[in-house]
Amino acid sequence: MNRVLPVLTVLAGIVVIWYAASVWMNATWVFDQAERAGTTVTWAEVIPQTMNQDRPLLPPPHQVGAELWKGLAGQAVTSKRSLVYHGFVTFKGTMMGFGLGIVAGVLLAMAIVRFRVMDMSVMPWAIISQTVPIVALAPMIITLSSQLGLTDRDVPKAIIAAYLSFFPVLVSMVKGLRAPDQMQLDLLRTYGASEGETFLKLRLPASMPYFFASLKVAVAASLVGTIVGELPTGAIEGLGARMLIGSQFGEPLIMWASLFAAAILAGLLIVIVGFVERLARKRMGVPG
Amino acid sequence: MKKLMTAAFLAALATGASAEDVKLQLKWVTQAQFAGYYVAQAKGFYEEEGLNVTILPGGPDIAPVTLLQNGEVDVMVDWMPSALAAREKGVPVVNIAQPFASSGMMLTCLKETGITSPADFADKTLGVWFFGNEYPFLSWMSQLGLKTDGSPGGVTVLKQGFNVDPLLQKQAACISTMTYNEYWQVIDAGITEDQLVTFKYEDQGVATLEDGLYVLEDKLKDPAFEETMVKFVRASMKGWKYAEANPDEAAMIVLENDQTGAQTEKHQKRMMGEVAKLTAGSNGALDVAAAERTVASLLSGGSDPVITKAPEGAWTSVITDKALAQ
Amino acid sequence: MTFLVVALVVWLALWALNVWIAGSPLSKARAGKLMVPLIFGVAVLVLWEGLVRGLEVSFVILPPPSAIAAKIGASLPVLWQDAAQTILKGAIPGFLIGCGSAVLVAIAIDRSPFLQRGLLPIGNFVAALPIVGLAPILVMWFGFDWQSKAAVVVAMVFFPMLVNTVAGLQASERMQRDLMATWGASYLQTLVKLRLPAAMPFLFNGLKIASTLALIGAIVAEFFGSPTYGMGFRISTEVGRLGLDMVWAEIAVAALAGSLLYGIVSLIERWVTFWHPSQRH
Repeated sequence: MNRVLPVLTVLAGIVVIWYAASVWMNATWVFDQAERAGTTVTWAEVIPQTMNQDRPLLPPPHQVGAELWKGLAGQAVTSKRSLVYHGFVTFKGTMMGFGLGIVAGVLLAMAIVRFRVMDMSVMPWAIISQTVPIVALAPMIITLSSQLGLTDRDVPKAIIAAYLSFFPVLVSMVKGLRAPDQMQLDLLRTYGASEGETFLKLRLPASMPYFFASLKVAVAASLVGTIVGELPTGAIEGLGARMLIGSQFGEPLIMWASLFAAAILAGLLIVIVGFVERLARKRMGVPG
Repeated sequence: MKKLMTAAFLAALATGASAEDVKLQLKWVTQAQFAGYYVAQAKGFYEEEGLNVTILPGGPDIAPVTLLQNGEVDVMVDWMPSALAAREKGVPVVNIAQPFASSGMMLTCLKETGITSPADFADKTLGVWFFGNEYPFLSWMSQLGLKTDGSPGGVTVLKQGFNVDPLLQKQAACISTMTYNEYWQVIDAGITEDQLVTFKYEDQGVATLEDGLYVLEDKLKDPAFEETMVKFVRASMKGWKYAEANPDEAAMIVLENDQTGAQTEKHQKRMMGEVAKLTAGSNGALDVAAAERTVASLLSGGSDPVITKAPEGAWTSVITDKALAQ
Repeated sequence: MTFLVVALVVWLALWALNVWIAGSPLSKARAGKLMVPLIFGVAVLVLWEGLVRGLEVSFVILPPPSAIAAKIGASLPVLWQDAAQTILKGAIPGFLIGCGSAVLVAIAIDRSPFLQRGLLPIGNFVAALPIVGLAPILVMWFGFDWQSKAAVVVAMVFFPMLVNTVAGLQASERMQRDLMATWGASYLQTLVKLRLPAAMPFLFNGLKIASTLALIGAIVAEFFGSPTYGMGFRISTEVGRLGLDMVWAEIAVAALAGSLLYGIVSLIERWVTFWHPSQRH
């Protein structure tokens, strides 16, 4: 109760502000329409008219909720009008990018920790790579990957998602693989352990808590990347494409519903990754 | 009996082997603008010609030209201005057919802004699409003598997104619309036709050719490919004429192919009705006078013309001549 | 083909040079630390140039770095105009407003544990959301000029910054706060003298995240409507015209601006939080 009540209070506050804002923002249209029709309207007449417009500037919560429900439960999940279907497409893209990002991040981290020259030459560029706005690169990634014969439109999407998600993994893994201190390393040397053994028996296990801690950030980044990849790249399926289509066809409700579906997906992903993290920590005997 | 079955089997095998694969890249998302191709597919017109056609929808950041160039698709739907721009950039695309006889592009203005003729554009904000679609607009403005850099006495140009919001939110006095698409979104939003003023590019004499079929020049030298394209154009035009005659059925076929699930029946039926007006009178053959007018208009595109010299060999009548001969 | 071979040889030579520097005493010096990544960058460009020319990749697929550099040199005024619109008018004001208001809100709810417990989980959640999806909506609300771009940036940076600031304000230790109490320090004194300085590493962490988000937000928003200049406008328009050299020129400017913004934040951080263990060298 102690934790739920404050959250609910804040949420209720947001809903109230939202309703007030949608009345205020949607009213302009009602007044404009009345002026064009040559009539005048009072505020008492305006408010009901702001609640159910076809193209609201800011749809009130119940309209978004209804559209979201229609999209999630209103039809078969295989239907192209179903948000579950589009959500799954985005989920698939996110997972592909997430997997690719993890592999790239871990491999790069291993090379960086092992070779000083990799550390010195690649690490600064890895940081710079994240300051390049991915949206500027997205069209180029699509052009290039289609040139390489990767006609599947999932591939560029996954590359964009991986571009964003490899970085947190890389940074945490570099930290984690370097976590064992000199004493532990020396001990293994006295055992006559080879470099490979040191890596497998000491460095890798030591890096695991860091690894799992980075996953939450990485999965969120991967979702953002997937949606950015779906927005302008002509993807025809997925939540990002729905947002774009909603904007293009002037259907704000579709746009809002997809936005909230994306939020639900983000929540699910974070919960799942959090669960995996807890499971792994328990198995490795890390307290908490 | 046995002999007959063997013959039938062999015949089936033969057609199976000779089915020619064609990949068509659209310029935009699945909608009635491309009804002819979807109809030709659904009604089996392509199959009758022995073609196996895959239709790939486009999107805002897909430049069909790049896909055509790296051989991912065989033929694309594009507008002539952007096709000619690509040609000058070193991608030798050639127009082989022109299903759209006239242009559907126009400027739609709110009457309340006081605009009644193009002369009133001065000091107003106008919404324009970019991505290669801005050239007809720029050449129109330079013909009107209006500057587009936002200086006083000229017009302020706004790059509009993919919807009509700038007009509804009064951020622009006029926006670009297609007769078959965005115009109706304005109407759907609750603005009536008599509250609007429209200027069709066709009426202003600045129209450029829209949806045409383009292929790569060197591929066309291959007689087998040429033969495939003849069949493709013939079947596509049959699809277009069917769509013109049966707009409602065509719209439903388009809807079945829509992968986004965001298109509505009402909108697609209306779009089909408007698109039919643009394809009317075209048998697929390119009107060379219209193409030359497009080139002239592009060459005069102000300080930053889309093409710097008149293209040579940017269109050919070889395919349509053969397709129409039979 | 010769291009390819030359490029590969140069690449290998530069890589060998890097390996040598990394193993030599030079690697401990400042010059070495700067040289190695620079040489690596040059090697990548050489390889890119060689691949594009050697394999005769079409210009409309991937232009060589030399063509991009020539384009940058030829269109400096345009690039400057675009950067001024997108970065100076869109990203930076949005960054300042978003981060500033997040810090203010964090301080405002500092005295109410109830609000904190309510806002923090929501803030954490929203910080993980793909806020870029709001871009078309905000463009509809705030018009096509820089205001809508700044608004998208504000929406993107606000929650990551808020979460970091709230966490930072709780970073001072119990003992330190007790000490302040025994000295009879007021709430405000404790805030200014102890808790805000202690929060600085967290604040700068938030600022660094926000600095990369700011550019993304400003550029995406331009895809959904803009005046006829700006980096996002130029990128989407030139992709349509197949002017890929210009697209890459804009990407280069964006990378430079992004690194610069990040670098400035890091420099200020070093100056403000000189006492923190992570800044000791």
